[in-house]
Amino acid sequence: MYLPAGVRNYSYAQDMAIFRTKTQWVLLGVLLLLLLVMPSFLSNYWLSVCNIIAITIIAATGLNILTGYCGQLSIGHAGFIAVGAYTSAILSGQLGMPFLLSMICGGLMAGLIGMLFGLPSLRVKGFYLAISTIAAQFIIMWVIRNWAGVTGGNIGLSVPTAEIFGYSFTSQASKYYLILAIAILVIFFAKNLARTRPGRAFVAIRDNDLAAQVMGINLFRYKLLAFFIGCFFAGIAGSLLAHCYYGFLNPEFFDFKESILYVGMIIIGGLGTSVGPIFGVILIRLLDSILSLEIVPFLETHVTLFTSGWASGLKPMIFGAVIILFLILEPRGLAHRWQLFKTSYRIWPFSY
Amino acid sequence: MVNKESKGITRRNFIVGTGAASLFLFMGGLPFLTTACNTKGETIKIGIATPSTGVAAEKGKVLEHGNKDAIKYVNEVLGGVGGYELELVWMDNGYNAATMVSNVNKLMDDGCVMFGCSSSAMMTAAMTVANQNGFPGLAAYGAPIIYRPPQHIYGQMPDYGDDWVVFAQYFLENLWQGEGRPLMAMHILNNSTGYGAKDGATAMAKELGIDIVVREHTASTTSEMTSLTELKSLNPDILYIASTPQPSSIIIKNAYDLEMTSTGMVIACGHAAMTKALVDLAGADKCEGVYGLFPTVSWGDNVSGMAKMTEYCQANHPDDYLNMEYITSWCQSLTMAKIVSLAVDAVGYDVLAAGGTEAWQAIEEHGIKTLNNYDVEGLQGPVSYTEGDNRLSKSLRVFQVQSGDIKAITDWIESPVIEYEKFDWFGK
Amino acid sequence: MADLLQFVITGITVGMVYSLIAMGFVLIWKSSGVANLALGQLVLISSWVTYAILVQAGLPPWLGVPIVIVIAFCLGWLIERFLLRPLIAQPILSLIAVTLGLSYFLDGLITFIWPWSVDALPRLFPQDTIHIGTAVVSQEYLWAAGISLLLFTALTLYFKYSRMGIAMRATADDQMAVQACGIPVTKIFSRSWMLACAMAAIGGILMASIGGIGHGLIDTGMKSFSVVILGGLDSFLGAMIAGPIIGLVENLGGGYLTALTWPGIKEVIPFIMIIIVMMIKPYGLFGEVRIERI
Repeated sequence: MYLPAGVRNYSYAQDMAIFRTKTQWVLLGVLLLLLLVMPSFLSNYWLSVCNIIAITIIAATGLNILTGYCGQLSIGHAGFIAVGAYTSAILSGQLGMPFLLSMICGGLMAGLIGMLFGLPSLRVKGFYLAISTIAAQFIIMWVIRNWAGVTGGNIGLSVPTAEIFGYSFTSQASKYYLILAIAILVIFFAKNLARTRPGRAFVAIRDNDLAAQVMGINLFRYKLLAFFIGCFFAGIAGSLLAHCYYGFLNPEFFDFKESILYVGMIIIGGLGTSVGPIFGVILIRLLDSILSLEIVPFLETHVTLFTSGWASGLKPMIFGAVIILFLILEPRGLAHRWQLFKTSYRIWPFSY
Repeated sequence: MVNKESKGITRRNFIVGTGAASLFLFMGGLPFLTTACNTKGETIKIGIATPSTGVAAEKGKVLEHGNKDAIKYVNEVLGGVGGYELELVWMDNGYNAATMVSNVNKLMDDGCVMFGCSSSAMMTAAMTVANQNGFPGLAAYGAPIIYRPPQHIYGQMPDYGDDWVVFAQYFLENLWQGEGRPLMAMHILNNSTGYGAKDGATAMAKELGIDIVVREHTASTTSEMTSLTELKSLNPDILYIASTPQPSSIIIKNAYDLEMTSTGMVIACGHAAMTKALVDLAGADKCEGVYGLFPTVSWGDNVSGMAKMTEYCQANHPDDYLNMEYITSWCQSLTMAKIVSLAVDAVGYDVLAAGGTEAWQAIEEHGIKTLNNYDVEGLQGPVSYTEGDNRLSKSLRVFQVQSGDIKAITDWIESPVIEYEKFDWFGK
Repeated sequence: MADLLQFVITGITVGMVYSLIAMGFVLIWKSSGVANLALGQLVLISSWVTYAILVQAGLPPWLGVPIVIVIAFCLGWLIERFLLRPLIAQPILSLIAVTLGLSYFLDGLITFIWPWSVDALPRLFPQDTIHIGTAVVSQEYLWAAGISLLLFTALTLYFKYSRMGIAMRATADDQMAVQACGIPVTKIFSRSWMLACAMAAIGGILMASIGGIGHGLIDTGMKSFSVVILGGLDSFLGAMIAGPIIGLVENLGGGYLTALTWPGIKEVIPFIMIIIVMMIKPYGLFGEVRIERI
């Protein structure tokens, strides 16, 4: 733990605190204030971008616990998100369950399904596990497509608007506050999880699962726990996606490419750090909206050198290139850069 | 020590302060950034989102071109809408649902008076936001779920369910010579394109007197020999394919290889597949005689709007010539222009140019709901609004592939409204 | 019974094409231990390159197809040199993720050059059908199956007898030891990527001439993962045998189970197979069981 010079801890509570200096508290306050007043000067469009960013952060935080902390690569995250989305939509839409309860049930369901598909992780790892999570995504989507009596099948399913104690979240700003509150809770939970017994067990399993087992860590329990927590968050994100973002569910919304992008986001952000997913998601989603709304149409109309439609290929190319470049040049992701920046800011003007 | 620390905090506070201030400025500036590019002329804005990239790009690209050229045509030849220029805000949704939600929010922010979307899956992503805000939308390639029960989304043309009904009627009246009830084998794509047709069939088959058996395929299929062998053993009288061009071409080729048509079986395709790509992919010889449905005229027909459309297509996007999607989107833009001009006549320019809820209401009340037998320059079936039915055009024509060309063989056939929401299996 | 014969023949011929693509995967895994998840995209891009050469440039197939293979060699070399070499000896997670990044990049590149997403290749094979008993099979599939078998034989012989092939096998076993013996490891990696891309190109040409060029080819690449999982990641024989097995199970399941379960069961059978194999025999039919020690 790095501490600025002059900061001393006199109690365990101080030692365990996440925010320990006055400056950190001030910065936190400013950030929260900024987040709270943002809707008053953002247009609907930018609010909807903020909403998808916050929802994606929830899902990516889950994936980060599974892949970043515990080392179990999952390329089927969009499938687990779909499980949460559909469970929550069906419970609240057809059984009339209140939104908050159905959201938590959606998370639990996604977590259980995640554990089921995490079972192979006890025998295999690395590429084998990656493939089995891909299979999980295809099987989940097949069930959703075909269990038409419940899920609406290929036609789709309308989802009731989120409602808490009679207040219905219809405007973009109200959705924003709801999603933001949940996202902050999730980030706080994830940050603390990493410092608990299971969190340390996850890291031990990631670094060497055989060694971890020899040290007395129950692989069976902790691997499945990682799958459960990771997919639980995916389910929560899915539920928010259904109630606060789409309002309608169609199996085509949960594409396999989304799953790949989630892996890309946590790699860009920095695996196994609590701020990593936040950075990665913001970078990719902002890049996404700026590219598809500003840059691509602009290039498309002004550069006629290539076959019409060429500019739309830029987005996946840039995403792919960003993932590859981060892996080669900065495998520890943006979180590491952030750490370097903080350190150099603290000891400026000295270089070390 | 104390001195040093206070110094450090000062500098820190300074940097933090400037950082926060610049962040505030940036965030505050964003809305201006997005609106800065809107020129303030005498224009009325409409929005269109097409799947120009992604898995449906082969259709989306052409749709985009058709829309853009048609708006150009409206402004240059028709003199805009009620004397004002029509401005197109085009967006690519990449066949990605999250992008489409952002798109529709952006179109609302930008002051568009209505929006068009040309893919049923993307419209389902956009429709909740649009319905919650009362932002009217016009869907080309629709499925019943989009406007049953009717809200703020309208169908430019009949949906995949209507395709099925019209073809079934046509078949029973003109082609069916056997005794009793004909057996129809449906081969459907596993998304709203296929299941829209299946919904139509489920709702109407019993009434029309047709037995159906359904098989499903994916967009990535490479061989349907298995499912077709199964279907062949049932001796169907019709093979109805509700899919996009590529899978349809594989099914047609496999059915040809299995010599299914030699016993007099008829093959028909829904309107999502009836395009030039189908003939290219399956080969003209194997496609010969295949029936299809389409809600617009085909290239070269003798109608009033054909000459100008052909001229614009060949001047701006010659590659799209002879592509059916181009006509669809051309008609979509003409219909939207007509709606806007009706609304301009009724409520004037200022209400519409401002955008927002009032403009949207005006478009619906004075534009869409006053549509009465607009002929879309002869390119599409008549466009009218009837209470309780959000399909604006209800007519289709039956086409057939004849020596490699897709030719119309009937006049406009109107399809009845099906109140899907009354069936307990719908939307669940 | 007549149906059964048709299902079996369709299953085997389609499965042989899966084998062909799966062998490209095994080739890279065997020599460099990299799991190539961009397989589908490589197949797709090479079929577009074929389109560019045969249709857009209008070259005859006897000249065009070899040019496609040469371009595929270059692509393989580029990928290895600039993507994989900087990541040698990195954790498996990075190696998987980099091919995922590659798959995104290739997707974009394809849109960049050929933005319309679906097109047809000229017919390279005779179209007449062949009747085997009561079953019908299109000649295209038979050609694809034949070429797949031919390549399998060639690869097996290459790995067994050629100097380079033996060196590749040794590299897979222990990279450090091979380097110490004076075998240039990097050259072996790049050779294996070049070969694998050429195989993907051949797969792409065959698939595209049967079903046209489209995003569906990527999904076919996905399905061939079930072939490598069943056959074992490092066995050509496994891939060759598992392909037809997957094809058979898929078509028999599609034929007989559709009526019992939901439609579309055919498409998900390969993935269900993956999970089952993973539970019962994680290293596949012919894969080498690796024992880990600390």
